[in-house]
Amino acid sequence: MDRLRLKWLLLDKLEALADRLWPDRWRGATGWLFIAPALLLVGLLLIGLGYMLEYSLHELDLSTYRLRDEYSLGNYAFLIEKPVYLRILLRTLLAAVLVTAITLVLAFPYAYVMVRTPSSVLRKFLLVALFLPFFIGQVVRAYGWLIILGKQGLINGVLVKLGFPTMDLIYNYGAVVFGLVQYMLPFAVLLIVPAITAIGEDIELAAESLGADWLKAFRYVVLPMARPGLVGAGIVVFTLTLTDFAMPEILGGGTTDFIASAIYDSFFQLSNAGLGAALSIVLVTIGSVLVALVFRVTGAGTLSIRDERS
Amino acid sequence: MNLLPPKRWVLWSLVTFSLVTLSLPTIIIIGASFTTGEIIEFPPDGFSFRWYQRLWELDEFTDAFVRTFIVSAICTAIAVPVGTLAALASVRYRLRFQRTIQVYLLLPFTIPLVVSGIALMIFFGEIRILGNLWPVGLALCLINLPFMIWSVSSTVNALDPELGNAAANCGAPPIQAFFAVTLPAVMPGVITGALLMFILAFNEFLVSLFLTDARTVTLPVKIYNSIRSVITPDLAAVSVVYILVALLAVWLLDRLVGLDIFLKSR
Repeated sequence: MDRLRLKWLLLDKLEALADRLWPDRWRGATGWLFIAPALLLVGLLLIGLGYMLEYSLHELDLSTYRLRDEYSLGNYAFLIEKPVYLRILLRTLLAAVLVTAITLVLAFPYAYVMVRTPSSVLRKFLLVALFLPFFIGQVVRAYGWLIILGKQGLINGVLVKLGFPTMDLIYNYGAVVFGLVQYMLPFAVLLIVPAITAIGEDIELAAESLGADWLKAFRYVVLPMARPGLVGAGIVVFTLTLTDFAMPEILGGGTTDFIASAIYDSFFQLSNAGLGAALSIVLVTIGSVLVALVFRVTGAGTLSIRDERS
Repeated sequence: MNLLPPKRWVLWSLVTFSLVTLSLPTIIIIGASFTTGEIIEFPPDGFSFRWYQRLWELDEFTDAFVRTFIVSAICTAIAVPVGTLAALASVRYRLRFQRTIQVYLLLPFTIPLVVSGIALMIFFGEIRILGNLWPVGLALCLINLPFMIWSVSSTVNALDPELGNAAANCGAPPIQAFFAVTLPAVMPGVITGALLMFILAFNEFLVSLFLTDARTVTLPVKIYNSIRSVITPDLAAVSVVYILVALLAVWLLDRLVGLDIFLKSR
């Protein structure tokens, strides 16, 4: 009884304090009070980006190894002049396209089976098999692939036992793409699942009873209806691949630099912060333009945080 | 004439491929960690716990583990109030510039991690807070914040907006209404978000790579640096620690909110 009274007393005091700090007539602005910390937190990132932009406008002075004081677009000009950066950009874009395509092809059936299976045990199994790697970071997973695909790894060990020559399975483009697909799969499945859940099974059955074979039912009914999920998953996978660092570094072993590797090298190997910052700004721009384009084409709201219903 | 391969067959071969791809690294790492040999090889050379024992004796790994734990805890502690309030605000309250705010709050996702990491490194360097652990936790919270907001707002969407009004009508003052009505209703989202934030911070590598030094290095960065030199089985043992943490997280998530929550259509 006393504890209850104490609780009430405390709550009353709290209410009074809250009323003094945030009086009733400010009620209309409560939403802003709630969202302010998040806005401030993300603001830190903007400040950091401001520094980046500023750095990118100063060229490196090779005699002092510091950035010059005067502003110039020299770093950007350098990026355009040097063909190596275009090559890295194209390599990264190609990987992003490949990884997105392969991941969607694998993620869609996974999500479909997970939603549609009548067996709850199987569903749970598929969920756990999905979440476990999702919760194991990129570095650890890449390490697993090193053990499997490496020179003395699992696959080559088996090949040698069977009397075949060993194969070079890592430190090439294919390994990087494969590692990235494995990394992206859980993201993609989780983004596609809600879209499939929203499609009533009866709609599919209707299509099939009207004479469509399952492939046609997929092609004309399920896939179009699941489009928001597929587009959302595609965007996420594409941008994550475009900007990935760990997989090309670990599974590519320095042979297949992505843009992120080039940024890292500019900052920490060439010690040219201006150039690295310029590359960063270019990467941010490319990523944002692409996402904006996809939104334009497919309609916004695909990835939006909140539901339009509310 | 229908020459299509059966639907089940096609679906299941793709799903099986995905399952193998998803699980193989995990299984192989566990297997490799128990070897008695000096190098990773297949099949593993004998069975022992020697690499786990070595791990336990290596201060650099245990220290890095503790630091990673602290960083993740800081990240979660910031993310839970900040993300929950932001989600409530953007769904429950009619804010002006709603659309702009949404795009703004998604910035941590749109800006590549490598750029965020270096940008924060520059900024934190300028204000001289690099070298501590808490800025790392703060940074990890910032880059994953959309996950927290998204988790909570998906439950806020399901919450009946009249509940809050009903509480107010019954005479509940604002704070009481918040803790007795609103918060319990969005709790599944808060729990999911908190777990996600912790586990993502626990695994985060790229941003930590830029914000830590030799004295504050976290476990994923440590593993990355070791992969680049010699691959010894003690790394497999560390990785198993990660697998166990992931297992624990999946189990917790299932117990607390149920994994099925991710199957709902939003």
